[in-house]
Amino acid sequence: MSGEEEENAAELKIGDEFLKAKCLMNCEVAIILHHKYEQLQQTSDDPMNQVSQVFEKSLQYVKRFSRYKNPDAVRQVREYPSSLWKILSRYQLAEFELCVLGNLCPETVEEAIAMVPSIKTRGRAHDDEAIEKMLNDLSLIKKFE
Amino acid sequence: MFFHIVLERNMQLHPRHFGRNLREHIISKLMKDVEGTCSGRHGFVVAITSVENIGKGLIRDGTGFVTFPVKYQCVVFRPFKGEILEAVVSMVNKMGFFAEAGPVQIFVSNHLIPDDMEFQSGDMPNYTTSDGSVKIQKDSEVRLKIIGTRVDATEIDKNISQSRPKWDPAGSHPSRFFCIGTIKDDFLGVINDPTTI
Repeated sequence: MSGEEEENAAELKIGDEFLKAKCLMNCEVAIILHHKYEQLQQTSDDPMNQVSQVFEKSLQYVKRFSRYKNPDAVRQVREYPSSLWKILSRYQLAEFELCVLGNLCPETVEEAIAMVPSIKTRGRAHDDEAIEKMLNDLSLIKKFE
Repeated sequence: MFFHIVLERNMQLHPRHFGRNLREHIISKLMKDVEGTCSGRHGFVVAITSVENIGKGLIRDGTGFVTFPVKYQCVVFRPFKGEILEAVVSMVNKMGFFAEAGPVQIFVSNHLIPDDMEFQSGDMPNYTTSDGSVKIQKDSEVRLKIIGTRVDATEIDKNISQSRPKWDPAGSHPSRFFCIGTIKDDFLGVINDPTTI
């Protein structure tokens, strides 16, 4: 595969397959995995023994980094990703870029560009003002957590 | 980064499973075979979320086994070079530190740790700035950038297999991602120090 050598997320070179795929933010993965874990709990006494190490580690990771420490707050959390998507999709970003911003929640324009350099380089004329507005929208939702 | 993607796999099934529960058998075998595996192309398969389609089976000549093409949706974790993500430090030594982001391990060499951070040995080895304000130790949360990925062959898997559930068939983990990262760049580094909580 020729794309292997050129792979660079900073320039959004992640391969066609992943560019077209649905990208998931950590908080969304947390909901999916938590749901699956609950299903296992109903059918098995020891669900942690039923899942792979990859599942276990991923669940721990997304729980830790989706900024929801309380697993019971799933219903509240469910509203969060959809409103986040709605707001971020106004800015015509690639899913990968959206997810990086959603996961890392940069606070300044400078930080956002450092986290997702491709928002500047892909010639979509995102000026600092537009990025600033986007970050504002992002922080607004965060307040409702 | 986590993705939700559609993958395809040919499932070979023994004739004893043919009956009313054929679909359930195919799906449970699929989960056992695929969840927890890793490939260089798609990364780690974390969980199957749904089965889109099970195609017509094809009888294998001479064995009676039947192959079913199965299309399924799953959550995968695929690290990319250039990606910035958060990770938890799992081990610190004088060569650098290891961090984990979900299923993937990332090594950050001491050359890629800011120059003002010095290694301190002891019970809790760590990297600390000269004024002591920033500290990286086990369980610290760091934001890092992946600068290289490698897909390891089976050898490393043997160590991991000990903690794997019993049903997990040997050899279902044909490869494993390993990443090299850096925190020597703007807006990278410690985001949370376990000792200050």
